[in-house]
Amino acid sequence: MSTRDLDNKPNIILDDEKAILLDHNYDGIEELDNPLPKWWQIIFYGTIIFSVFYVGYYEYGSGPSSQQELETDLAAVKALAPPAPQGADDIVAKIDGLKGDAGAMAAGKAVYDGKCLACHGDKGQGLVGPNLTDKFWIHGDGKAAAVAKVVSEGVADKGMPPWGPVLTPDELAQVSAYVISMRGTNAPGGKEPQGAEVAE
Amino acid sequence: MSPNNETFRYDDDIVKKFSLATVVWGAIAFLVGVIIAFQMADWRLNFNLSWITFSKLRPLHTNAAIFAFAGNAIFAGIYYSTQRVLKARMFSDALSKIHFWGWQLIIVSAAITLPLGITQSKEYAELEWPIDIAITLIWVVFALNLFGTIAKRRERHLYVAVWFYIATIITVAVLHIVNSIEIPVSMWQSYPVYAGVQDALVQWWYGHNAVAFFLTTPFLGLMYYFVPKVINRPVYSYRLSIVHFWSLVFLYIWAGPHHLLYTALPDWAQTVGMVFSVMLWAPSWGGMINGLLTLRGSWHRVRTEPILKFFVVAITFYGMSTFEGPLLSVKSVSSLAHYTDWIIAHVHGGALGWNGFLTFGMLYYLVPKLWRTELHSQKLANAHFWTATIGILVYIIAMWTAGITQGLMWRAIDPTGRLVYPDFVETVLRIAPLFWVRAIGGTLFLTGFLIMIYNLWMTIKNAPASVKEPEYSAPALNAHPEAAGTAMHRRLEGLATPFTVLVLLSILVGSIFELVPTLTAHSYVKENEKAIPYTALELAGRDIYVKEGCYVCHSQMIRTSHWEVLRYGPASTLAESQYDHPFQWGSKRTGPDLARVGSKYPDLWHFRHMIDPRSMNAQSIMPAYPWLAERKTDFGILSKKLSVMKTVGVPYTDDEVANAEASAREQAAKIAEGLKADAGIDKLEERQVIALIAYLQKLGKTVQKEVAQ
Repeated sequence: MSTRDLDNKPNIILDDEKAILLDHNYDGIEELDNPLPKWWQIIFYGTIIFSVFYVGYYEYGSGPSSQQELETDLAAVKALAPPAPQGADDIVAKIDGLKGDAGAMAAGKAVYDGKCLACHGDKGQGLVGPNLTDKFWIHGDGKAAAVAKVVSEGVADKGMPPWGPVLTPDELAQVSAYVISMRGTNAPGGKEPQGAEVAE
Repeated sequence: MSPNNETFRYDDDIVKKFSLATVVWGAIAFLVGVIIAFQMADWRLNFNLSWITFSKLRPLHTNAAIFAFAGNAIFAGIYYSTQRVLKARMFSDALSKIHFWGWQLIIVSAAITLPLGITQSKEYAELEWPIDIAITLIWVVFALNLFGTIAKRRERHLYVAVWFYIATIITVAVLHIVNSIEIPVSMWQSYPVYAGVQDALVQWWYGHNAVAFFLTTPFLGLMYYFVPKVINRPVYSYRLSIVHFWSLVFLYIWAGPHHLLYTALPDWAQTVGMVFSVMLWAPSWGGMINGLLTLRGSWHRVRTEPILKFFVVAITFYGMSTFEGPLLSVKSVSSLAHYTDWIIAHVHGGALGWNGFLTFGMLYYLVPKLWRTELHSQKLANAHFWTATIGILVYIIAMWTAGITQGLMWRAIDPTGRLVYPDFVETVLRIAPLFWVRAIGGTLFLTGFLIMIYNLWMTIKNAPASVKEPEYSAPALNAHPEAAGTAMHRRLEGLATPFTVLVLLSILVGSIFELVPTLTAHSYVKENEKAIPYTALELAGRDIYVKEGCYVCHSQMIRTSHWEVLRYGPASTLAESQYDHPFQWGSKRTGPDLARVGSKYPDLWHFRHMIDPRSMNAQSIMPAYPWLAERKTDFGILSKKLSVMKTVGVPYTDDEVANAEASAREQAAKIAEGLKADAGIDKLEERQVIALIAYLQKLGKTVQKEVAQ
C-alpha cells in the first residue's frame, strides 16, 4: 500500500492544466506550473519602484524630516490663533462685568463642575486643590487678573493645570467670575486656609 | 512493492494531543477576550480585583490567543503534515512528548504569572526570564524533532509547506533569543539589556515578526497542505510558491519599525520600516493567490463543504489583513491609526479571520481523520461558520469605526488653532458604545467556537474505540537520485541544510541592517540633553507601573505631530527614555499619553485617582487600583535593582546603589507627609502607591537641558 492510495482521491485536473502539471507529489498533493499573474507582478515591482523613489526623496533628496514637518505644521496652527490675545485689562473688565449676572454664574458653575470640582470640591471647599471659599489666596491677590492668570496658565509646580488651551475666552471669564463669587462663603468641611489673607 | 521499500507508521497520537490542546486553550483565549471586551464597555466589570483587572487580563488574552491557541494549532498541523509530506514518522516520539507537555507547562505558567503582574511589559514577550528559558529549550526540542524528521525523510524534495515550517523554526528562535536578553533581579523579575529606543526597536522587530513567523509563515504552511488535500486540486503555481516564499521571508523582517512611525525613532529607520511594509503587499498576496486559485474549477464545492468555507474565508481575511497592514504602515495613515482601535480591528481580522478560521477548517478535517470517523454534524459546522463570520465582521467594523473616529477627534483643530476635543475622556465617551458592539461580536465568535467544541466532542465520542495506525511503505531516500538537468531551486528543495542556511541568511540581512545601528542609537541623543536616571523610589514605582500593566492603555511617546504637541506638550525625545529598561512607549491609548504627566497633577490627585479614578474624573473608564494603597513596596531589593540597572548601563554611583533603600524611604516619607498634610491619610510611606506617584511625577522630567555656555 502506498501513501498515495490510502486516503487520497485522485486530484481534479482541468483540461487546460494537463500541460502544466508538474511531476511533484507530496502525500497526494500536486503542483501546477502557472506563471506569476501579471497584475501581481505589477504590484510587486510597483511597490519596489515606489520604495526606491520614497527612500530617495526622504533620505537623500529634499523631503522634509519628521521634525521639519512638525515645525511647519505648528507654525501653521499658530498662525490660526486670533491676532492679539485678549489683554489683561480686557479680561479683568469682562470678569468684573459678570459680577451678579445670574446667567453667567450658571455658565461658570457648569464649567466649574466639569473641570474644577474634582480637585476643589463641589462647593469649592478644597480637596486636592485649595479651599476657594475662605479669604486666603496662594497665588496673587485674588482679584480678577490673578484668578484669570491661574485658571488660564495653571501653576505647574502645584499641579494646577492650565485651562487656557481648553476653555474658550468666554468660559474662562465665566468660571473666573464664579470662583471669585465663592470667596467668603466658607463652605462647611472646608480645607484649612492656605496662603495669605486677601482684601475683599 | 519494490524490494528496498521500508514500512513505517505515522505518530498521530501527538497530533491528537495538540489538536485537543488547541481546542481547550482556544476556549480560554476567546473567553478572556470576551471578558476584557466587556470590561472596556463597563469599568465595573474589573471588580476592583487585582488579578482580573483589564491591564492584567489583556496580556493573558494576547498570549493565550497567540501561543496557546495558535501555537498548539500550528504544532498539530505541522506534526500531521510534516510526517506525510516527508514520508517519515517524527524523528523521536519522546521529543514530541517533551515538546507537547513542555509547551502546555509554559502556557500554564503564563496563565499564572501574568494575572499576578509578573511581566516584562514587552508585548507578546511579557513572560519573565525563567519562562523565557523554558521557551528556548522547548523550541530547541521542536527544532531537533523537525530537522531530525527531515533528515530521515523518504521524499527527496521538501514541499513548500515544509519551507514555511523551517522559516518559522529558525526565525522564531532568533527573535525570541535576541529580544529576551535580560538580567535577572530576582526569581520573577528581570531588566532587558536594551533601553529606550533600542528596546523599542528590538521589541517591535520581535513583535512584528512574531506576527510574521508565528501567525503567518506556519499558517501558510498549513494552508499549502490542507487546502489542496481537502479540495483535491493541485496547487495553483509552484513558481509563485518559490517567489512569494523567498520574498516574504526576506522582506518581513525589515518591517518592524512601522510600529514606531512618528515616534522618537530616527527617521531613517521609520522610512525603512514603511517601505518594506509596502513591499510586503505582493509577497503576502502571493500566498492568497496560491490558496484561492487552487480552488479553480471547484468553487461550487465551497457551498456544500464547511471546511472549504472556513478555508476560503481564512484566506480572504489573510488577503485583507495583508493589504491593511501595508496601508497602516504608510506614515500618514499610521499617524491617524496608531494608538487607536483601528489597530485592534486589524489584528483581530488577522487572528480571528486568518488564524482562527484556518485552524477551525483544519480541526474539522483532522479530528474525523485522526479518530477514523465522520464529523458528527455538518449542520453544526455550518452554524459555527456563520456565527463566527458575523461575529468577526461585527467586531472589526465596530473597531474600525471607533479607531477612525477617535483618531480624527484627537487631531481635530478648530479655526483658532485649538484642539476641538482637548479633554481626552470626551474622545473615549464618543466611542464607548462601540465597545459594547465589539463585545457582542466577540461573544458571537466565542459562541461559534463552543458549537465546534460540542461538534468535535460528539465526533470523538462516537468514534470507534481504537483503530490500529495504518502502515505505510516507501523506498528510502537514496533510491531517488536527482535527475540530470534539474532546475536549481528544485535541487535546493532536496538539500535541507543549505536551504535552512539560506533562510537564516535571508532573515539576518534585514535584522542586522536595522538592529546594529540602533544599538548605538543613543548617539542620536542631542548633545545638550542629559538624561537623569530615576531615583530608587521612582524606579520602584516604575516597576509597579509595569507590573500593574499601565502600559496596556497608556503610551509614553508624544509623536512629532502638531496635534500631539498641542495636547501633551513637546514631542518626546530619545534622551527622555535613554535609561528606560524596558521602554514604556506603549502601543495603545485607551487613556491619555503620560510622557509629560509629571507635575501636571498634585500627589493627592494621583492618590485619589488610583484608588477611584471616578473621584477625579467622573467619566473615566479606568479600572480602580485600590490595592496600591495596601500593598507594600519592597524597599529591600532596591540596591539590587539599581546594581542591575548599573550593569546594563544606567550611570548610578556606587553610593546611590548602596544607599538605595535609605534614599527611597526618605523620598517616600516626604510624599506621604504631603498626603497626610493635605488629606489626613496616615501611614502611607511604605505603600506601593507612593512609589508609583514618585514615578509618575518624574515623567517628562528625566532630561536636563544644558544651556550652552
